[in-house]
Amino acid sequence: MKEFVLAFLGSYCPAILFNIERKNLVWAGLCGAIGWAAYKSTQMLTQSEIFAVFIAAIVISMLSEIMAKVFKTPSTVFYIPSLFPIVPGISAYNTVLYIIDKKIAEAAYKGLETLGSAGAIAFGILVISTIFRYINTHNINSKGQ
Amino acid sequence: MEVREVLNIAILSGEILLTSGSEIYRVEDTIDRICWAYDIKCESFVTPSGIFVSGWALNNANESVSLIKRIRNRTINLHNIEMINTFSRNLQNKTMPYDEAMKILKSIEIAPYFSFIKRLLAAGVTAFAYAVLFKGTFIDGAFAAAISMFIYLVLEKMKKADFSQYFRNFLCSFIAGLISVCAAKFIDFLNINPIIVGSIMILVPGLAITNGIRDALHGDILSSQSRVVEALIIVTSIGVGMGLALLLMKIWM
Repeated sequence: MKEFVLAFLGSYCPAILFNIERKNLVWAGLCGAIGWAAYKSTQMLTQSEIFAVFIAAIVISMLSEIMAKVFKTPSTVFYIPSLFPIVPGISAYNTVLYIIDKKIAEAAYKGLETLGSAGAIAFGILVISTIFRYINTHNINSKGQ
Repeated sequence: MEVREVLNIAILSGEILLTSGSEIYRVEDTIDRICWAYDIKCESFVTPSGIFVSGWALNNANESVSLIKRIRNRTINLHNIEMINTFSRNLQNKTMPYDEAMKILKSIEIAPYFSFIKRLLAAGVTAFAYAVLFKGTFIDGAFAAAISMFIYLVLEKMKKADFSQYFRNFLCSFIAGLISVCAAKFIDFLNINPIIVGSIMILVPGLAITNGIRDALHGDILSSQSRVVEALIIVTSIGVGMGLALLLMKIWM
């Protein structure tokens, strides 16, 4: 619960830095918090960092696309702040730390984990945006005819 | 309305979108939509560093007008993207005269949304939240918040002084690393890792990465590549800045 609140703050405040309309701030925060919850629970279930990030990215993109539909705003508004909590900041930091300690093997391991997480986020977004893009174009076509 | 005036409206909206950190397909889509609202056919090509549009009236395809707009600085302002989005959709329902449209666009361009103090506080709370989230104590969080607010201040000052964003990120992460190292050296119960991770969180290039992916998805390979590379360089400069500070710590201790 404590982490849920923190993740909420961790998306709400970057949203202020990115100048989001006030009424959308809470939703962006909520989106980030739910994404963090998905990340944590998947991580506990499967013990896999990268898979957890992937699931969280999917949950976040789905939520943001749905919110974008409901509030009629671009989905970017929700995406960017709510992906903040699952960005692999800590493993990137550890990579640098290992490089400085000249522990190349550990650095390579952490670096790969960072790259994998970033790739997982990218792929999660890609899958969901493709699906929603298909739905959107399909709707437009059926309306036009 | 004349073709040139419509293109001016379209290109100004596109410029605001692009400088606010929009995806490429949204810029092209908005330009097309505004031109269509005035019954003008247009072809637009947008890259992160420039907009190229040429348009012609439907009943007079022989005389086309082309405009090029170079984009030099890009920031993040999602509110502007929303405003332009609603503006172009309204235009589609009901067109408005040139002066009125330009006035609205100019007011969107300069509209500040959150005051500087609020953004500074937000930077602090962000750092606090992440420091605690990554297993720090509340005191670590408070330290991270203070550092983050300080580097946000530096960041804004350097933005005004027109330093390149890579150097900005490098210097800010170096300062953040240096302050946390000093703090952890003099105060025993601080954990250095959560403080550093929390305080550099506001530098992370989240927008560049996500936009890079979304551009690739829409087939804008050119801008996708440039954004991913931009993100990579930013990450490297943050890492180098932080690494330098940590290296100093190792030598010093």
